[in-house]
Amino acid sequence: MIKNKTLLVLFRLVLGGLFVYAGVVKVLDPLGFAQDIRNYRLVGQSLSFIAAVVLPWLEILAGLALAAGVWKRASALIISGLLVFFILLTLVTIARGLDVDCGCFGALSRKSGFGVILEDLGMLFMGLCLLFAPEKRNR
Amino acid sequence: MSETRKIVRQVLVIGALGVLLGAALNYPLVKRFVRGEFRETFFFQADYPGVVLITIQEAEDLWAAGETVFFDARGAGLYGEGHVPRARNLPEAESQQRFPADVLELPREKAIVVYCEGGDCQSSLLLAKRLHDEGFKDIRVMTGGWEEWKKAGLPEDRGDDQE
Repeated sequence: MIKNKTLLVLFRLVLGGLFVYAGVVKVLDPLGFAQDIRNYRLVGQSLSFIAAVVLPWLEILAGLALAAGVWKRASALIISGLLVFFILLTLVTIARGLDVDCGCFGALSRKSGFGVILEDLGMLFMGLCLLFAPEKRNR
Repeated sequence: MSETRKIVRQVLVIGALGVLLGAALNYPLVKRFVRGEFRETFFFQADYPGVVLITIQEAEDLWAAGETVFFDARGAGLYGEGHVPRARNLPEAESQQRFPADVLELPREKAIVVYCEGGDCQSSLLLAKRLHDEGFKDIRVMTGGWEEWKKAGLPEDRGDDQE
């Protein structure tokens, strides 16, 4: 695991910032995001709506907390958990042969595929580094 | 308190805050959802006045009358395996670019029926929204899709010959 403090701070800012951005674009268009979720054809109309209302705020809060360095481990855990979920979701979608927009970054979204998984893996790496970063010794 | 318990508690707090914020800031939307809107589509009917959802029976009547254009929103493969006779294949995925010339030349008042595979499929709705944005004023989504059309024993065509 990475122990370099500067690098870890950089990870926090980049990963937190990405999640805040991803959350904000979704907050701006809840119904559009609900449709994106629905397009994956895994959950029904109601669950898609609820997820579209809650998920963006979860991304924003966890992203803000991580970038600000508040509750670092908890926010890194949430973000890593979401990323694992996104990766599994994308794999299932590829396996089912669905042609859907990933719905991940608003206008910057593209087709759900291996490129998305690679990005998610990169972010997951940062998340896990932060989650398991060594504890500060002298408080 | 142990480190793990502290983290779990913080995760729960962030989660609860997310739910609260989401519900509070989308209060008008949530209210409409509870009232029963968005059960079938995720767009405001008011924003897409020309788009209506219809049953297989209505679609059959329109088809039999022969005045309505049918668009099949599925890909060319599924279309080739079987489609509503006289339906034109207009894959939703491709319409993201630009509609073909013959579609753009249709009078905007022309009644249009769109459908996709059926059940859970979303592409007919997406295609309907794009057609609306293109200026078409009478778009009907056959929500049962191809599956129900076939199940109802209605006529079908094969192959990719467009009429």
